[in-house]
Amino acid sequence: MTTPVLTTDRLILRAPDKRDEPAMLGFFTGERARFYGGAYDLAGAWRYFAAQVGHWALRGYGMFAITAKDRGETLGLAGPWHPPSFAEPEMAWLLTEARHEGQGFATEAVGAALAHVFAVHRWASLPSYIDRDNGASRTLARRLGAVPDPDHAAPIGNCETFRHFAPEARA
Amino acid sequence: MIQANVPLLTTERLTLRAQRPCDFEAYAAFYGSERSRGMGGPHDRATAWRQFASELGHWVLRGYGFWMIDLTETGETVGLAGLWNPEGWSEVEIGWAMFDGSEGKGYAREAATAVRAYAYDTLGWGPLSSVIVPDNTRSQALATRLGARPERDWVAPAGWPAVIWRHPGKEALA
Repeated sequence: MTTPVLTTDRLILRAPDKRDEPAMLGFFTGERARFYGGAYDLAGAWRYFAAQVGHWALRGYGMFAITAKDRGETLGLAGPWHPPSFAEPEMAWLLTEARHEGQGFATEAVGAALAHVFAVHRWASLPSYIDRDNGASRTLARRLGAVPDPDHAAPIGNCETFRHFAPEARA
Repeated sequence: MIQANVPLLTTERLTLRAQRPCDFEAYAAFYGSERSRGMGGPHDRATAWRQFASELGHWVLRGYGFWMIDLTETGETVGLAGLWNPEGWSEVEIGWAMFDGSEGKGYAREAATAVRAYAYDTLGWGPLSSVIVPDNTRSQALATRLGARPERDWVAPAGWPAVIWRHPGKEALA
C-alpha cells in the first residue's frame, strides 16, 4: 500500500515505520505518555506503536510520523486515529520529547495533516479529544481553529472534545 | 510507505492470509473469551483492537507476523497462526490459536506446520520456540505432536508465567 507523504517548510510527514521505533518507545515509556494512557512498560509501548503502524493497513489512513526535513529525526506523530471505540476518526498528535516543543512543529504538522485528510477523505469535521490538563494541546487546537464541542462527549476519560472543520464547512 | 507484505500460505485444507478489517469481530470474540488465555487475554474490545492493529504493525516493523487461517473450501476463518516477536518477547515464536468450534480437526497442526516450514525454508531460520502457558494442555499436546519439547520457564512482559518449548530444526525434521 502506498501511503501519502506530506511536505511542509521544515517537516516531512510519512507513514510511521521502523525508523521511528526508538523515539516512539521513548515517548510511550516516558512521562509525556500520560495523556496517552501511559506511561507503559517497553512491551506495552511497542504494542501501542505497532498498533499505530497497523492502523494504516487496517483503515487506509493513520497517524503520520513527523520528521525534520533537514536531518530526518523523528519528532512525533500526527494524524487521524480511529479505534472502534470511537464513533468517528480523531485528529491526534504528539511530540516525542520536550525539546521539540515551542518551535511550532506541532502546529505545522497538524495543520498539514488536517489539510490533507479534509482534502482526501472529504470529512466535514474531525474531533480531537484533549485532556483537560493538557494545556499545550488545548492551545494548539484553538490556534488551528478548533472549537470546543460539548455536544459530543469524548470517549476518553478527563477529555474534552474540540472540533476541527473542513475549509468548505468553515467558509 | 506501509509494507505489510503478508505472503499467502496454502496447505491441503487451509489458506493463511493477511488480517483484514472485517476479521475484527471474530478476533474480538476470541479475545473476549477465556480461550485467549494462552495469548495473553482475555481483553476488552478496545485492548483487543489495539492487539489486532499491533499484529499488522508487527508485519511492517518486523517483516513477519500472524496470519488468519481460512478454510480454503468455504472461506470460513478458523483461527490465527504465525511468527511472533514483539518487544520484550523471549525470541521469535511460532504461535497459534483456534476460534471456538474449530478445534479437534487438525487445523492448528496443519497451520503451525506450514508456518514453521515458511520460517525454516523461506526465512532460513533455526530451531524456533513456542511460548505456552502451563495449563494449556491442548497447545502442549500439539507442540508435542510437532516434535517440540519443553525447554525452560519464562515470564511474559505482562507477568504471566509460561514455558518455552523448542521445535526441532530443519535438519531434524527432514
